[in-house]
Amino acid sequence: MMGDRLMAVLAGLLRRAARLLPADRQGWAEALLAETGEVPARAGRLAWLLGGLWLVGREAVLGPAIRALAFAAGATALARISWPGPATDSAVPLNRVYLVGTVLILAVLPTVIRRYVGPVRRGWAPRTLRIAGYAAVLAMVAAKAVKGRIGSQLGAYFVVVPGIWAMEILLLLVIGAYVAALLILTTRRVQLTRWGLPAAMALGVITAAALYPLAPFGVSVDPDSPSLPWWWLAALLLPVAAGALVARLAAREKRPGSLHPVAQGALGAACAMATAAMLIALVTSVAIALFPHRIPLQNPGPPANGGCETCDPNQTIIPVRFRHQYYVDLSIGQSGDAPFAALFIMPILGAGLGAFAAGVATQPRRRDPAPSCPPGLEASDA
Amino acid sequence: VPRTGFSAQTLSVLAALTADPASWRHGYVLARETGLRSGTLYPILIRLAERGLVEACWEDGQPAGRPRRHLYRLTSGGLAAARAALDAQAARQRQAAAAGGPRVAVRGT
Repeated sequence: MMGDRLMAVLAGLLRRAARLLPADRQGWAEALLAETGEVPARAGRLAWLLGGLWLVGREAVLGPAIRALAFAAGATALARISWPGPATDSAVPLNRVYLVGTVLILAVLPTVIRRYVGPVRRGWAPRTLRIAGYAAVLAMVAAKAVKGRIGSQLGAYFVVVPGIWAMEILLLLVIGAYVAALLILTTRRVQLTRWGLPAAMALGVITAAALYPLAPFGVSVDPDSPSLPWWWLAALLLPVAAGALVARLAAREKRPGSLHPVAQGALGAACAMATAAMLIALVTSVAIALFPHRIPLQNPGPPANGGCETCDPNQTIIPVRFRHQYYVDLSIGQSGDAPFAALFIMPILGAGLGAFAAGVATQPRRRDPAPSCPPGLEASDA
Repeated sequence: VPRTGFSAQTLSVLAALTADPASWRHGYVLARETGLRSGTLYPILIRLAERGLVEACWEDGQPAGRPRRHLYRLTSGGLAAARAALDAQAARQRQAAAAGGPRVAVRGT
């Protein structure tokens, strides 16, 4: 009878443990419990119930624990890169604010999105996308911190004025918006055509791969820059292509509850632009952080009389012995700023152009009007 | 010969479900046919159901003397995928046998 009691205890434990599973998986533990009576031998029943506990442990504890450990490892690596720095370096306080803000965004948003929008979509692709997005954000913020630190070594001449703080906080909010969009688009509630999002993101990746070599350390907004027309061309063609493609795919695969094809086209184009902008910002910042000595010096350089452009007040004169280092630091600090600005603008531009292209792509083809009978030749009953 | 993308255990579950694709099976029958423990079998069934390869439902009505069972069978897409995977697995085994390599047995085939 000892064995029966043990079995009852295990079954009760499994029933309670099953509540740890997500709501849509609790039925599987109930299914396993319902089968226990089918197993003939007592040892077999014991093994069956232990298998059930393993199932719950694996699904409810192991998966979240692995995800939490991976996130903790990423956050720790970011802290080790972003936090240190001498007190004389003016980028250090900014880096620390970024570190705390980024970790908070990445840790809190999944819970908020899960509560108000819903859980992650089933399958490996949405989870892989989330992991890749998180890794990209962590790497980008880490590289940005290194770049900022190298570019502000003469902290007294690189004062972080309130205007710069405001821009940096705005960029942090934009990164938060990217993370929120990634989480929302990979929930079950957002019904998109099956291949729409992967196709749009693939277009974004291809565009980023084609454009990045044109300006490995950040595109210059100088109107004389030879690569500038290509960037403009990509900024117009990519959303048009992505919007039209996704809308056509959505129109072909009509599923109940899915978004209108034009809305999907706009979303797809925004995603394509966001993917391209994010990848270019990521790779540019990593390149600057790894090879700061290869960054071309700014042209035109700082004033020849030693005037400090980044001081507050800016009438400060830089001593002669610091002027070259100031010039190098200034070039490093300001390189790669355009890709960060693109993070903000590109998805908005993409959504607008994508909606237009999607509308055109899904318009029904005009048919020739049916020939009408000439007067006097109407069909008769005869 | 392409890889199937399924583990040997998953292939054994697919093989058991393919044997009589129209009929609904319950967990213990599948465990007996595949030799898998419950802690291995159910995660496989969960993944297959999430990928739309297996459909699951609860038995109709309350049977006397036992709880209602959860039943499983392949969807039409699941049947096609299972047959393709099992054919690919068989071809790989033939190729390995011809090359004198080890043979991986899948129970239920």
